[in-house]
Amino acid sequence: MPSRRLEERRIAFQRYKEDVKRDGKPFYPYAMFHDTVMSLVVVCVIVGLAFVWHYTSLLGPSLAAKADPGTTSFVPRPDWYFYFLFYLLRIFKWPNSVILGTVGIPTILLILLLAIPFIDMRRERRLLRRPIAIVAAVLVALSMGVLTYKGATAKEALGAELLADVPNWVKAEKLPAQAVPGAKLFATSGCLNCHTYLGAGGSQLGAPDLSAEGSKNKGITFQIQHLKCPSCVNKGSPMPSFAAFGDANLRKLAIFLEASKGPK
Amino acid sequence: MPSKRNRKEQMLAAAQYPLDWLEERSGLIGGLRYFLFRKVPGDSGWWHTLGSATLTAFLVQLGTGVILAMYYKPDPNSAYESVQHINNDVTLGWLVRGMHRWGASVFIILIFFHMARVFLFGAYKYPRELNWIVGVLLLPLALLEGFSGYLLPYDQTAYWATVVGININGTAPFLGPFLASFLRSGSEIGADTLSRFYSLHMLLLPGAILGLIGLHLYLVVRLGVSSPPWSSEAAGRDREQAPAVPGSGLVNPAPRGVTKRPD
Ligand code: HEC
Ligand code: HEM
Repeated sequence: MPSRRLEERRIAFQRYKEDVKRDGKPFYPYAMFHDTVMSLVVVCVIVGLAFVWHYTSLLGPSLAAKADPGTTSFVPRPDWYFYFLFYLLRIFKWPNSVILGTVGIPTILLILLLAIPFIDMRRERRLLRRPIAIVAAVLVALSMGVLTYKGATAKEALGAELLADVPNWVKAEKLPAQAVPGAKLFATSGCLNCHTYLGAGGSQLGAPDLSAEGSKNKGITFQIQHLKCPSCVNKGSPMPSFAAFGDANLRKLAIFLEASKGPK
Repeated sequence: MPSKRNRKEQMLAAAQYPLDWLEERSGLIGGLRYFLFRKVPGDSGWWHTLGSATLTAFLVQLGTGVILAMYYKPDPNSAYESVQHINNDVTLGWLVRGMHRWGASVFIILIFFHMARVFLFGAYKYPRELNWIVGVLLLPLALLEGFSGYLLPYDQTAYWATVVGININGTAPFLGPFLASFLRSGSEIGADTLSRFYSLHMLLLPGAILGLIGLHLYLVVRLGVSSPPWSSEAAGRDREQAPAVPGSGLVNPAPRGVTKRPD
């Protein structure tokens, strides 16, 4: 015996089919006309964007410099529709909750989306009588919008500007002279795209603040190993490998990191 | 002596012949006729065009992608140069590449708009639950298509965004590290990574998307699209029960367009 609710829905769909048969209009030409106009608009917008990209600089360069794994400054930036995820990763801190940001929230959202037809089984379709649906839609749209905007306007750490900070770091942290080459490398190698150091840089992917990294006393060998292959020593680390820098540079970085015992 | 009228009929029959031939052997003409002349709710309008607009954007990606694939070389030593070549030397190459690049964004935006309209219309309800699920599966596939395509120009942005993206994948519990090393095809991003992304981007993912779109559209045609819920002539709306007084009912039916339920 089907439940009363199922019975009601079946009857309503039967009525839908009869109504459409009696009062509906044929797909061609009516709906087809709307579809065609809309599709033409879409194609025109795409072609228009291609023109704007080619003839102006509004949409950014058509190609950045060639990929270079040994680069000393880079901006890890995904396409705009990942900005919201990207920014989510700034909110969560390594290592406890970063998994929540990277995997947990997207997975939960997908499962929720899949479940919607089974959560909301009422026949009611009018928006004003679906207050929960309205609130949920507004909240989702708002938070996606805000996160995307934040991700888009997030300030990138620029190597040249950060280099000017090095003397201040030396003063504040009382860095020894042999740590200065490492500090310069650190400022220009894109480390501060993810890490913060004495307030400079942007915390991303839950990367920790490194102002007092040396006070953990992990040692030069550890630091070099970590830079060569972060996930080998810190399981699941999303930090990229910097093995391409070469041993000499990694040693400089490690000396700098170990010398950073926090501001004094 | 064949009259003018007779000639016209003969011409028509000649034009009709291949169609009849095809119909007799495949039923395709009948199918097309059913698709084109099936009834849709009279109050469906511009909101319902978002789905086919999404489809159009996807078809643009297919077309421009095929052209790009004729010139692109999935190899770290020549990928960047081949994209430069498309931009600078190939006739209208910049247009094709620009359309592909920005068509991807338009495609993603339209998916979200289409999904929003389906949600706000409550069009995921019985009997269209399955079509909603097919749609939800299309969404991450489309995002992955964007992610895998982003690496291909092999410039700095592409390279480092992908390094970080793959590493993020690696943080997932259980499958994460496995997935990350599969995507990277090794411990470093290199030649194998690029050709793997290329293959995912132009074979596996578009194939999966195409298949799901086929299923999606089959269900749309089979079930019909839902009327706007606010429409006073919505197909399948609840009717007021005709009052049981003489003079009403069959002879004098309750007026159409009354939507209020008795309760
Ligand atoms: C894409 C983002 C990103 C970039 C770029 C990055 N890191 Fe990291 N880093 C992380 C994350 C996330 C962690 C935390 C996980 C871990 O410990 O590996 C981390 C951790 C660290 C640690 C702490 C390791 C420990 O166990 O104490 C050090 C030191 C470090 N990074 C140095 C650097 C240096 C030096 C650079 C530049 C050459 C750099 N990072 C670039 C994301 C990044
Ligand atoms: C590749 C992406 C997609 C394409 C090409 C596509 C295409 C279409 C088309 C042409 C229609 C019929 C006309 C219309 O209602 O607009 C439709 C309806 C529908 N779509 Fe999609 N769609 C896509 C993604 C999605 C997504 C992401 C969802 C939801 C999560 C979804 C859910 C639905 C539902 C439930 C219907 C039925 C609507 C109704 O009966 O009123 N689709 N789709």
